Amino acid sequence: MPATRSLQLMAPLSGVLIPLDQVPDPVFSNKIVGDGICIDPTSHILCAPVAGVVSELQSSKHAITITHDSGAQVLLHVGLDTVSLAGEGFSALVCKDQHVEAGQPLIEFDADHIALHARSLMTIVLVITGEPFTVSTVDELVECGQPLLSLTTSVQSSETLPNRGQEVCSGPIILPNTCGLHARPAAILVQAAKGFEADIKLHRQDASGNAKSLVSIMALQTTQGDAVHLSAIGADAQQAIEQLAQLIADGCGEAITSARKPAEQIDPPTKVAAPLKDVLRGVCASSGSAFGHVVQIAQNTLDISESALEPHIERKVLEEALAQARDALQRLQDQATGDAQAGIFRAHQELLQDPSLVEEALTLIAKGKSAAFSWNRVTQAIATTFRDSGDALLAERALDLMDVGQRVLRLIMGVPDSVLTLPDQAILIAHQLTPSQTATLDKSKVLGFATVEGGATSHVAILARAAGVPAICGLPMHVLTLATGTPVLLDADRGELHIEPDQSHVEKSRAKHQQQLLTYQQDLKDSALPACTLDGHCFEVSANVASLQETIQAIELGGEGVGLLRSEFLYLDRASSPDLAEQASTYSAIASALGTDRNLIVRTLDVGGDKPLAYVPMNMETNPFLGMRGIRLCLARPQLLREQFRAILSSTSLTRMHIMLPMVSQLSELRDARQMLHEEAARIGLQHLPKLGIMIEVPSAALMADLFAPEVDFFSIGTNDLTQYTLAMDREHPLLASQADSFHPAVLRLIAGTVNAAHAHGKWVGVCGALASETLAVPLLLGLGVDELSVSVPLIPAIKSAIRKAELGRCEILAQQILKMESAEQVRSALQAHLQAYPEIPTALEN
Amino acid sequence: MLRTIQNAFWKALTPDLIVDQEREGSTRASGLSQAMMAALGGTRNIASQQRVALTRIRIQLHDASCLDEAALRASGVRGVMVLNDNIIHVLVGRG
Repeated sequence: MPATRSLQLMAPLSGVLIPLDQVPDPVFSNKIVGDGICIDPTSHILCAPVAGVVSELQSSKHAITITHDSGAQVLLHVGLDTVSLAGEGFSALVCKDQHVEAGQPLIEFDADHIALHARSLMTIVLVITGEPFTVSTVDELVECGQPLLSLTTSVQSSETLPNRGQEVCSGPIILPNTCGLHARPAAILVQAAKGFEADIKLHRQDASGNAKSLVSIMALQTTQGDAVHLSAIGADAQQAIEQLAQLIADGCGEAITSARKPAEQIDPPTKVAAPLKDVLRGVCASSGSAFGHVVQIAQNTLDISESALEPHIERKVLEEALAQARDALQRLQDQATGDAQAGIFRAHQELLQDPSLVEEALTLIAKGKSAAFSWNRVTQAIATTFRDSGDALLAERALDLMDVGQRVLRLIMGVPDSVLTLPDQAILIAHQLTPSQTATLDKSKVLGFATVEGGATSHVAILARAAGVPAICGLPMHVLTLATGTPVLLDADRGELHIEPDQSHVEKSRAKHQQQLLTYQQDLKDSALPACTLDGHCFEVSANVASLQETIQAIELGGEGVGLLRSEFLYLDRASSPDLAEQASTYSAIASALGTDRNLIVRTLDVGGDKPLAYVPMNMETNPFLGMRGIRLCLARPQLLREQFRAILSSTSLTRMHIMLPMVSQLSELRDARQMLHEEAARIGLQHLPKLGIMIEVPSAALMADLFAPEVDFFSIGTNDLTQYTLAMDREHPLLASQADSFHPAVLRLIAGTVNAAHAHGKWVGVCGALASETLAVPLLLGLGVDELSVSVPLIPAIKSAIRKAELGRCEILAQQILKMESAEQVRSALQAHLQAYPEIPTALEN
Repeated sequence: MLRTIQNAFWKALTPDLIVDQEREGSTRASGLSQAMMAALGGTRNIASQQRVALTRIRIQLHDASCLDEAALRASGVRGVMVLNDNIIHVLVGRG
């Protein structure tokens, strides 16, 4: 019979106790690694909570594991996201495998440095071997060395020891998990292993770890495709091996529990082509359809030899490869087609300059490993940490790290940069395309993209939309087994990939595609014509822009002005705030391009926790969408706003200048900003002030539009934020995004109310949100009385054409009917029915 | 969409906790009660204050000898950490 004994853990630090589930980091609060408690420290030396052996000490010295003689393991993790400090601010006072006494100092840290550079100092104390415990203190404050947790450990007396028996081993198991046995699958394996009496080990190459310890499994740093095996000794060893081997082969629950992915994805990818269904479903990332032939973009697996003879040669190889990679990234930046792409490669350059990456690789080289092996191991390990951090932003950077890692690896191994030679009519299929891959593709031959990973915001989606080719993301894994050359029909509008479609289906799609092209060409030809309805009412169609270049393009495509200049994007890639002269010259260039016959509506800096600017530092917020955004931030930093006003005012004579304030929710915000504008105008003796308006994107502003209207010159409705705030749904939420629909009657009622209030005071209303760029919405918005539509540049011709085909009288009747509807679906079908009643109106150009 | 990815990058590349130049020196910003102010040696003794690390207010004093640590602990804060260079962390919890 196992006896139980109690084990007392001391507080490793003084500070404030916080229950684990209140720690703002899901890795800890969800108790994935284990249960325990958190201390927000007021002392700066971490002491051993119990006597034992230092079984794990992270190289970044922010986390340490102590194993007690009873087998109980305690993980101490100083701060949140402190791994990113790479050891800076931490010094270890003990070494791995050292025996420590309870209360012995383990790690000293610079609390101020961590407070200024990491997310938090909250220190986590976890019992990772899962012994039940009770908290020994009721106070909120603890002193270092005071009793903290009381554990119940089981002790097996010698006579009850089971017959140890023979060691039982499994055959090799190939890990199907994309990130290897990272936190979640490892936790499931540990849980299952604990159900057996036997001692169980997991082996990977020469290394092995206790299968009942999460940390030792994660320390094996397994990756997808690794061959691992299990061994066990004990009475139920055979049973344990059988069950656990099956569990690992099945992905440790990972594919099954992943709610986001469709059911087809449970099958791990196999080299043997599985029988495929005729249609694979995913999510539309860029609309349109195309018929072409599959080109699989396989991730090149490079054959890396692990050891090398001369560390100094390997060192040189690595350093040269890093230098070459930096040059190559610089060239890519210089050639980049847009700011976004350049920004991505600049970020890659910065990743390469990260000292911890290079240092860790050099350490491995010094141990006799090859440059390629060392670099690959280090980048893979950090990318895995990023992915599993529970932090969406870090996770996004994992792909970038892998990308830049591969770039250097190819240089080390002398593998030429694989510029893919594509056949014509290629439909590219990949697990995920990296920015480097997308930048080197011959876009003239690509008809479409289909990927397993990624969503509407992925690189593929961005590239596809920019190039105007259809794309589907989120396809099931076995799309990767399609043979290159297989004919497929990519119907992105429906999110479907048809395999070997029959001829009639292809013809239908081709005809639709042709029709779209014809319509587009016709719209383009007519783009300079005014946008007047069949019954003779004219509307202004202007453009949403973020640069001079886009402004010029908008004018060429028939844009009648700029309805939204996103001023925060003019200086996105800057570390320091642009000075007045620089801002003024940017505005004057855009104003001169438009001239005095067109409107320019400059939206003042719209930044905040959700869209920060490098030169506008701000504190982390728990809910940035409800935090210091838009006008709130500008009023809190009046210098920023005053300087922007000054710069805008210097160009007022060049165009019909308008200033628009974002995120206004209170009248006082408008009044304060207007006051500032007047003061700045008075300073330079300006008589004619530009028009001042506000964005309507918060329900409070829409509901009080009758009070705002007398004090503004115009309103412009930002439908994206208005929808998200009205429905309380994040438009990028993976499950809610499809419901966060601007066609929801609640949003439409707010628009209607805003328009009525504005017109009662003789003010005009524009719509600059994404709803204005949807052809389907045109009759509705016109019917609601909107005066101006500000749309994304490429869609100007299509929207103008949609207005020309509408009849205002009918639109008004339709809008009144729609305002009484129940759901966005009803609204959409009513609009579709309306458009079908005018067969000459193309419905195909929704983007 | 471009906007989203660009934002993600800047968010990842921009440290959140850079000292806010404009607010530094201002002592009227939120977070400190009158009792705390008094314990810290009055408004004039505060060189800067800043929310950091989710739960803390980092305060730099002109003269640390004016600090009444016991009074500060009694002023309703959760914890106090006195550091070198006239710097104090006052633990106030999240929010």
